[in-house]
Amino acid sequence: MKLNIEPLKCIGCGLCEMVCSLNRDSVLTPMTSSIILHIEDKSNYFGLVLKTKSEGLVLGRPEGTAPGQQASGASGPGAKPILLREPCDFCAGETKCAKICPTKCITVVD
Amino acid sequence: MYMANGRVGVVDLDTLEISELELDEEWLLSGDAVSIAEKLLSDSGGDGFVLGSGILTASLVPAACAGFVLGSPQDRAKRIAPLLGHAGAEFKLSGFDFLVIKGRASEPGYLWARDGMIEFVRAPEAKGFDSWGRTDKIRDSQGDKRIQVLSVGRWGDAGFDSSQFVVDYWGGEDKSGLGSELGTRNLLAIAFRGMGEFEVSDPEGHLQACLRIQAKQMARMGRSFGIESYDAAFARGDFRQLVHRPIACFGCPFPCRSFLKIHEDPGVMEHSHKEPGYLHYDIPALQKALESGMSAREATEVLIKCARAGAEPVSVIAESMRSNGNASPSSIDRLLSSGRDVPKAGEDDLGGVFARSFGDGQSYMKCLGLGLCPRYWAKAGLDITAVSECAEPAIGVPLKR
Repeated sequence: MKLNIEPLKCIGCGLCEMVCSLNRDSVLTPMTSSIILHIEDKSNYFGLVLKTKSEGLVLGRPEGTAPGQQASGASGPGAKPILLREPCDFCAGETKCAKICPTKCITVVD
Repeated sequence: MYMANGRVGVVDLDTLEISELELDEEWLLSGDAVSIAEKLLSDSGGDGFVLGSGILTASLVPAACAGFVLGSPQDRAKRIAPLLGHAGAEFKLSGFDFLVIKGRASEPGYLWARDGMIEFVRAPEAKGFDSWGRTDKIRDSQGDKRIQVLSVGRWGDAGFDSSQFVVDYWGGEDKSGLGSELGTRNLLAIAFRGMGEFEVSDPEGHLQACLRIQAKQMARMGRSFGIESYDAAFARGDFRQLVHRPIACFGCPFPCRSFLKIHEDPGVMEHSHKEPGYLHYDIPALQKALESGMSAREATEVLIKCARAGAEPVSVIAESMRSNGNASPSSIDRLLSSGRDVPKAGEDDLGGVFARSFGDGQSYMKCLGLGLCPRYWAKAGLDITAVSECAEPAIGVPLKR
């Protein structure tokens, strides 16, 4: 199982971040999620960063999806760095980020 | 306590004393955050303003993105504006459900709320900055680009009735002149960021109920094309040619926000130009600009100028039409640099404003009181029974009707 990200379908709603933490810790917060919404709002540049077990960081940038580097996974000093977070565990098969994503930017592929 | 911090921050700018109040859980669960804010304002002596969030703000309920700003009444009229984008949710995550601000600082600065702490940061040098410069300055100084900033420009500083507060870089929420609430207090901006978390009574129940309602609404509404999905007047060629991508507020599945690029090719997806354009969601301002004969490009230029100055664009464009017989980026420039206020926009010019999302003001207040975006819920159809099905597993009790 793998999560596929189509960044240009992302609308930056941030529901994936929230539901990931809800699944992991039973609380609503974007701070412990395995997926991070990256926004440069002044230039409307936004996408997703996903921490996986098999591929490390996956950067869903508007210009394309690619493996990422450590610095690219930062969500700002106000947040726990993604490399210190748990990798995606597919919510034990429930893949809740894919379920709640309203634009199907995140989908599950086998 | 579910879905709330249970805390109010109180800032007295006269003395720079910062204190906290605890909030009664039952009061919070009433789902009427606007009434709570009115009470807090009244208890503080009435000379102040309040930032607030709803019990559902930052939940998984569709478009649970709203906070609000409540000012002291003017001519007996309630002055309230939503706080949208990611600002409403981020405010609540900063550790406070409400923030009461009163008094006037002796020197210019901004309030910085994060992780349950608030401080007043002196920033006299930022007094000369426009709203964009203030947001940049705060994010650079604090080293975090996801800090949400509610700021004003020189029109707010001057206490003009036709000022507006700006959220990060964009305007559209404030049609009540609430920008002057900040400016007249020597308050350049309010910034917030938080690592907060909210306990949920039944996490799986909340998720499943929210998934059901989202699926139902999306099946009916389809895909959003941004602001033109909320107002067909913007489905015009010169507007569409500049559209980059729509972007949503927190938790919104059907965004009303369209980013238009005017300083680079809208098809560019890489991060290149630092200030390529503007995020349009101010329906009455865009309507007014296009009705005045401006192109979509010119309208975008004008809205950027107004946002930077912290001036409410409907009022400014209307004044340009009255005094010059036309409106253009250069006529708006002249007005913005004139150093004088303009009459506030009349009701006739404010079609599409958030406060008129519904036919009645009651539903608007209901949405703000709960933390829901009124524009989205007017489009989707406000069904309190359905909202309650999502809310009950989150807060542990049924919503009060």
